[in-house]
Formats: sequence, structure tokens, C-alpha cells
Amino acid sequence: MHLRLLLLLAMRNLSRQARRTMLTAAVMVLGGALLIFSFALGDGSHENWIDSGIRTSSGHVTVEQPDFRVSRKLADRLTAAQRVQAEQALAMPDIAPLVVAVSSRLRIGGLASSAAGARPTQILAVDPAAEARFSTLDDQVVEGRYLEPDDRLAAFVGVGLASSLELRIGSRLVVQAQDSENEIAAQLIRVVGIFRNGVPEVDQTVVHIPLQIAGEWLGSGQDVTNVGVVLQGSDAVGPVTRHLETALAEPITRGEVRVMGWREANPALAAAIAIDDFGNYLVFGILFLIIAFGIVNTVLMSVLHRHREFGVLQALGLTPGQSGAIVLVEGLTLTAVSGFVGVSLGLAATWYFLGDGLDMSALVGEDMTFSGVVMDPVIVPLFRAVRIAQVVTFIVAIGAIASIYPALRAARIDIAEAMKFER
Amino acid sequence: MTESNLPAVRTEGVWKIFQQEAEEVQAVRDVSVTIERGEFTALAGPSGSGKTTLLNLIGGLTRPTRGRVWVAGQEVSEMSNQALAQLRLEQVGFIFQAYNLLPVLTAMENAEFPMLLQGLAAEERATRVRELFARTGMAGLEDRRPGKLSGGQQQRVAVVRAVASRPALVLADEPTANLDSASSEALLDVMAELNRDLGVTFIFATHDARVMGRARRLVQMVDGRIDSDETRA
Repeated sequence: MHLRLLLLLAMRNLSRQARRTMLTAAVMVLGGALLIFSFALGDGSHENWIDSGIRTSSGHVTVEQPDFRVSRKLADRLTAAQRVQAEQALAMPDIAPLVVAVSSRLRIGGLASSAAGARPTQILAVDPAAEARFSTLDDQVVEGRYLEPDDRLAAFVGVGLASSLELRIGSRLVVQAQDSENEIAAQLIRVVGIFRNGVPEVDQTVVHIPLQIAGEWLGSGQDVTNVGVVLQGSDAVGPVTRHLETALAEPITRGEVRVMGWREANPALAAAIAIDDFGNYLVFGILFLIIAFGIVNTVLMSVLHRHREFGVLQALGLTPGQSGAIVLVEGLTLTAVSGFVGVSLGLAATWYFLGDGLDMSALVGEDMTFSGVVMDPVIVPLFRAVRIAQVVTFIVAIGAIASIYPALRAARIDIAEAMKFER
Repeated sequence: MTESNLPAVRTEGVWKIFQQEAEEVQAVRDVSVTIERGEFTALAGPSGSGKTTLLNLIGGLTRPTRGRVWVAGQEVSEMSNQALAQLRLEQVGFIFQAYNLLPVLTAMENAEFPMLLQGLAAEERATRVRELFARTGMAGLEDRRPGKLSGGQQQRVAVVRAVASRPALVLADEPTANLDSASSEALLDVMAELNRDLGVTFIFATHDARVMGRARRLVQMVDGRIDSDETRA
């Protein structure tokens, strides 16, 4: 049977019951628009979380010694040569456009003490210029300033730690940790800046010091514990990871180096995003199940009201399969057209909020943290072509599935009985 | 025997029994009849005599409980649903009491519908329909939808739809039941002319005296059986 004839019958039959068709279409339009906009907001929110999370940890991608993440020992560090190799790989022309910042750091656990007491601390030795591009802490100064390239015995501490140790700008602070000889070594430093991040464990434990001083203090020279990379977006993780694994193939093969994406390095954040995604899928799955029942009702009512007509069609020579095909095409046409309108509306809403984002601060406040990540209350939706494909496929599938039962009803009519139906 | 020599319809010991709750209804009982090509035959009888059921059996709209049915030389009793649909498309035209035009199609599109399913070219379809519309007084009404046509006009479109695809036979179930006397006569004139000029085989199920009066062969049915079978000159 000609597709053109099927479409002609479908469109004309849908317009016969215009009000019913429009009501069902309106529900699908709303559902499609909501789905597109919600996914865009959700993806934008997740990207926000990821950006916030990776900038306070080890980046979208991190290069480390394989045992470091578990041991956290200085002995499990990258050599200066391995560090340089990673930094050079990230500067190559085919990958550099994806890279926003590279920061090579030395991270160790230790103790910070002042006249007021002592506290466990996470000491992060950094190149101030590189770290300023990598991290957001330099934008979260509440007193003083961030580290500068010429600094030597300087410290940038969290507001919680400063409060615990009664530190002010200029205060002296002694940090102690295990050095490269496995001896306890101490270093006197002076506070030049205090930050407030919002995540309690960051504010209460993190201290930034210049990488050069750490190398002298701990005897580690130019070695680092990780090379962290911030990328243009999380979509770039795959290509950059593969590039680094190729460039560092030899040390990787020797078991000296490992390249990790943020999901592997931040499993808690990855899990939080996955759970949030799952929740969204579940909610929208239920929503569209309800919409599907609406479509079933519309299409089935149309079939039942045309019981005799389907009998006539089969009497004229349509096969049962062709009768069912008419109903399937009607259902698919209804969902495809209304889905297209819905997706377009959703994209328009997404585009509208692309610039300034959606300000949710009235609902979530300014300092909300989630799974160790500071949440920006302004959510900028993220447009992803794959989401459009997912939504369109989902809508078409709903239309097809919702039309199956009515199509079977149309195909299985008793022709002689249908002729008697309205006698 | 060539295909053109074969009767339009032959039934042999056909029964149709319906089960209605606890009761068995024998709508057609042991009917054997042969209808040749070109006949203008009426199956007549009161309500419940089995004439419509026999028509449905001939048209493949329902299957016999016992017995055999041939249409244009093909036995339809054991055909699959797919094959029956193909048979109806190629060999049988239907005219119904309630016209049963598709309300979303125009008069022209309704008349062309079986030929569209057969895959005939657009030009051939249009030519046949326009000629038949001219014969049946429907010229100029091609673009009207059924809702804008009178009962008589709708039934004429139904006649054209049934005949245009050149089936072996046309089955008309109470075609004049919903028409006034003038429209009924006009419709009968059309069908008689098609039978005479084009050799279209017509089989009517009717209790309308006008139709019975026009038929050249009158098969009377009572309680599911053939009571009499009279061929007139």
C-alpha cells in the first residue's frame, strides 16, 4: 500500500476529530518541550558540578603514579621527566585547543600548627600562575591574596583552618609531613591569603604553598604527585585521555604512570551525577508512560468509532496488516508532529536561557554543596545534539508502542460483524 | 474451461452456523447455487432468510461452516485472510446499504480507492472514474466529500467504486434500502445499464420489490435455504 495514501488517510483522519487530536498533541508537545529543556538544564547542572568538583580536586583528567591515589605517599610520585612529558603532550597542537589549564601539583597529608594548636591538613604545593587558571580558590579570597609566582614561604589557607589555628594575614604557620627520605620534616611559612570555598573539608584542611618550596622542604625537587588538566568540557575527556595514554605509553607500560578521567578520579561525584540522571530518567519515564496512555486512548477511540469503516476497508481489499498500518501511521504521525513541535519549543526555551542561565538561588541559596562540590545556583543549560536524538527516538517509540494495541484491534475485526455494527 | 467461461459464483452444500450464547443459529443451510457471468440476480427473502449471510460468504467476508464456495473459479472456503483480501480487491465489488464511503476522501478518491490498492496508474484510474461518473450523472461532483452528497449520490459513488476496478462480480446488499423511490429507480437504471453495456455481474440481497422486479433471475430464500430459483426472459 502506498505510503502517500497511508499518510493521506492518517492526516485526514486525525483532523476529523480535531479537538481530541489537539488535546493529545498538546500533551505530547508539553512533554517533549519539558524533556528537552529539563535534559538541557540537567546537563548544564551536571557540567557545573563537574567543573566545580574537578577544579577543587585533580581536574577533568589527571596523570599520576598508579599507587598514589590509594597510598597518598610522597614515594608514589611522578618524576620531573614524566611531568614534563605529560605537560608537553598537552601542549601539542591537535589537543591544546581542548585544554583550559594544566597544573602540576604535589599533594601530601600533614599537620599544620600554630601557637593556638595543630590540625591535620592537605598540603597542595602548586605553581601559582598555573594553579590560578586551574582552580577557583584564587577567586574565593576573603582576606589577603592568592599565591604569586615570586612567593617563597607563603601559604594560602582555608577559612576553617585559619579559624581553628587563629591565623590572620601575616601569621606564622608550621607544616609537617613525611619527606622523600621518610623522615618527618617541618617548614615554616607565613599566611598571605585566606579563602572560603564553601565545602567544609576544603575550608578546614587545605593549604596551598609554592611548589618550589615544597621540593626543597621534602627533597622531592621538581617531582609532582599529579598533573591535572581542566578541559573545555567533560566531552573532551575521552580524546584527551587517549592522547595522553599514547604519549605516555612507555611509562604506562612500565607501570609508572596512569591516566584517569574524572569519573575514575572522583567516583563519588560520578555516582552522584549518575543517580541524578537515573532519577530524571525515572521521572520522565513515568511522565511519558502517562502520555502514552493518553495516546493509546486517543488512537483506540478513533479505531472503535471507525469499526464499520475498517470493515469496509477490508471488504474493499485491504489486508488486516494494512488496516493495522493505517492506525500505526496515524499514531506515529500524531506523535511525530507534536513531538517535533515540542522539541522545537524546548530548544527555544533552552536557547533563551543560554546566555544568563536560570537563577535558582531563591530555591537553593548561595552556598549549597552537594557530594563535596559547591553548586552554582545559576544553571546554564547545556545543548547536546545527542539529547535531541534521544528525545526524538523516545517520542517516536512511545508513538509506535502506544499505537500497537489499537492497530491490532483494527487488524483483527470481523468484517461481517463490522458491517452489522450500526445496522 | 477458460477463466472467462467459469461461473462468477458457485456454491456447493454451503452452511453457515452462528453460535449465539446457548443457541445455534443456522443462517445458511445447505445452499448450492451457480451464478453465471453477466447475470443480474436478486437473492430475495424476509429478514433472517440468510440472503445477506450468503452474500457475505460469496464475498469472502465470512467463512462457511461447511461446504465450498468458488468465486471466478477460485475456491475461497479455505483461503487465508491475505488471499481473501486479494480476492476481494481483484474480483469482487461491494455496494452496501449504508453506502459506506470513506468520509475523509472525496467522491473521486472514494471511487478510485480499490484501483489505487490494485496499483493502477493515476491516469487510468481517473479515466475510468470520470467515464463512470458521466454515465451515472455524477460528473462535476468529483471533489465533494460524502457529507456534501445526497444519499442517492453517495450510492452512485459506491456503484462506481464497485465497478471501476472491473471485478468479476458486484455484490449489493440492500442498495436501495436508504433511498427514496425516485433515487432507487435511478440507481437501478444505472446498475442495469452497467450490466447490459459492460457485462458486470450483479448479485443483490434485497427485499425491495423494485429490485426483485428488475432482476432477470430471482432466488427466493427462506430460513437459510433456497426456496425457489426463477430465471426470467
